[in-house]
Amino acid sequence: MKLLSIRLCNFRQFYGKTPEIFLAHRERNTTIIHGNNGSGKTTILNAFTWVLYEKFSAAFASVDKLVNKRAIAEVAPGEPVECWVEIGFEHDSKKYKAKRLCRAYKGDTIGIEHSKSELYLQVAGDDGCWLLPQQHPDDIIGRILPASLHQYFFFDGERIEQIFRDDKKSEIAEATKDLLGLKVLDRSIEHLKNAKRTLEEELAAIGDTETRNLLREKENTEQRSEALSKRQSEIDKELENQNDLKREISGLLLKLGGAEELQQLRDRLEAEAVSIRSQLQQTKNVRNRVISTRGYTVFLLEITAGFRVIVNDLRSKGELPTGIKRTFVKELLERERCICGTELTNGSHPHALVQEWMERSGTPDVEETAIRMESQINEIDQQATEFWQEVDQQQEKINKDRIELSRIETQLDDIKKKLLTYPDENISNLQKRLDGIEERIRELILEKGANKQKIETLKTEIEAKAKQIAKYRMKEDKQAIAQRRITATQDAIERLTEVRTGLDQQFRLQLEKRVQEIFSQISFTPYIPNLSEKYELTLLDVVSGELAPVAASTGENQILSLSFIGGIIDRVREWSQKNALMGPDSSTLPVVMDSPFGSLDEIYRRQIAKTIPKLANQLVVLVTKTQWRGEVAQEMATHIGKEYVLSYNSPKPNCEVDVIELGSEFYPLVRQSSSEFEYTEIIEVRRDG
Amino acid sequence: MNQQLTLKEVQEPITTAPAEVRQIIERVLQAERDKLYMKNPKNINDDILKIVKEAVP
Repeated sequence: MKLLSIRLCNFRQFYGKTPEIFLAHRERNTTIIHGNNGSGKTTILNAFTWVLYEKFSAAFASVDKLVNKRAIAEVAPGEPVECWVEIGFEHDSKKYKAKRLCRAYKGDTIGIEHSKSELYLQVAGDDGCWLLPQQHPDDIIGRILPASLHQYFFFDGERIEQIFRDDKKSEIAEATKDLLGLKVLDRSIEHLKNAKRTLEEELAAIGDTETRNLLREKENTEQRSEALSKRQSEIDKELENQNDLKREISGLLLKLGGAEELQQLRDRLEAEAVSIRSQLQQTKNVRNRVISTRGYTVFLLEITAGFRVIVNDLRSKGELPTGIKRTFVKELLERERCICGTELTNGSHPHALVQEWMERSGTPDVEETAIRMESQINEIDQQATEFWQEVDQQQEKINKDRIELSRIETQLDDIKKKLLTYPDENISNLQKRLDGIEERIRELILEKGANKQKIETLKTEIEAKAKQIAKYRMKEDKQAIAQRRITATQDAIERLTEVRTGLDQQFRLQLEKRVQEIFSQISFTPYIPNLSEKYELTLLDVVSGELAPVAASTGENQILSLSFIGGIIDRVREWSQKNALMGPDSSTLPVVMDSPFGSLDEIYRRQIAKTIPKLANQLVVLVTKTQWRGEVAQEMATHIGKEYVLSYNSPKPNCEVDVIELGSEFYPLVRQSSSEFEYTEIIEVRRDG
Repeated sequence: MNQQLTLKEVQEPITTAPAEVRQIIERVLQAERDKLYMKNPKNINDDILKIVKEAVP
């Protein structure tokens, strides 16, 4: 974050809009704002923190009275007074304008009421167009410079040691972790662990897979089915052989004297039997078709009977075709004369009688539909009768064919018996062989049928298994993915933990070293700052070869705190540049200090004045005339880019005026107010050369 | 120079990670950075689960 400018309006001492205060940020990175006590230095420090975080420093009293008194005094009761602060800053090549605004209303009787403050943020990219960002302004600012860290960058130098009070140590540790990116790592690890837990739950929910077992079962079933199919073709072959044999023997019987006639008869009967069987099959097919296409008609009889009851009922009540059409009655009423010649004047008795018919007469539509439906109903009844006739007819044919077939079979049996008992042994033997063959053919056909059924069952089984396998395969894939995700997450956790440990240790040691360097640059004591693993900062001294904590003075604690802030800014800046992966992008960090030289001695003031402009990228210092003494002005001179004077206008009669000499010019620090109100003006210092 | 080397060493577990793990780490860090300013980052668990699932499709 690079601060560009600040502008105030009716904020505390500042009446009306101040000119825009541009802040130094290039090589000469320091802005000095001079002001006496009460002129508004602390107000300016708090203007920064109010806009960005709605926070105030400890020295800033009456935080609920932000609006300039004169501005309030000048408005009519009930009228609002606006009070705002606008800050311009740059971050990551984007320019921002943040403005916080609150309104005060002067009540008629009761005092002044303040509205809640509102924050507005505008952003301009490279094209220079100002836009309203889509995210919440607080979130955007929080991302650029987290609120938890604001006290490192906007602070009251006189109370700086309080930032590091014991009760604030854990806060500081947290805030430091924020800046380093350690918190990012901590959170990453924590949340990755949560993700891993969720993934493990998902894996458990997928359940067991039995793909391997299923595959084996499917294979077995397929083998059984194949064996059966093979057997089927063997049966076919054998059946063919047996039939050939049968034909051969029948042929032999034909040639043998005496059996010739019987065999001829048998051939004929067998041919007849084949024909009757096929005829029987055809008749059965016809019967089945009749049942499946027209069978439903017999179930409609009950419904058609019901329909007739309803229609007859309506007729008897006169609600269905009465023979009189409604249009006819309507015509009579319109003509006002009945067909019998009676006059039908409106309101008369005959008119009322005819009018009644209006209700009872049917509309042509209903009548037509009823008639049409009746004829359809009759048709259905007719169809049912025809259906029974047809079925009976086919059934009769079937019975006839069956009788005929059984007759032929008896005849064939007779022939067989005759041949078996035939006196000629050759003939009876042939018949015996023929019997054997037929028996075998029957067996084979039965086996074939049973096999066919088995193959069908196996086929269904195989299909079901294949479906199950596909389902489990999908499950298995899901399992594999879940497993891979868990492994990858665990790996990420382990690696991040390792990085975290390494970073923490390394950064802490580097930071400690840097704090020690800065501290020793400023302080003349031999004390050594120590940074514990929890980022707690203490001063140690070597007492008889061992390090022991020092009961440090306020001044030393202030230097220690400044060293720590300087160390953090320095280290974080360097890390942020090299280590873009972690932490907020903090390559540019500003420091705004109110009264930075608090209660320090000359040597310390000089050292701090020398050190600070080098630590921060950008420095804004708010000083009193007494703080801005020779050694400080001297050390900072080469860094000053902008300089302002807060000129306090006092309403006190005969107040003591004060001036400050900067360059070759005198600037008023305190002067007589032209009104009854106190207010502060901001004057830019222009040094020549 | 010495510092840079050490920082590189510190980051080694990330730079040497398999592609999908590295992708997870980098995207998770980015997601956490984006929500660092929140005390309780909203929906962060869902975000991270999504990152893992996308990195290991």
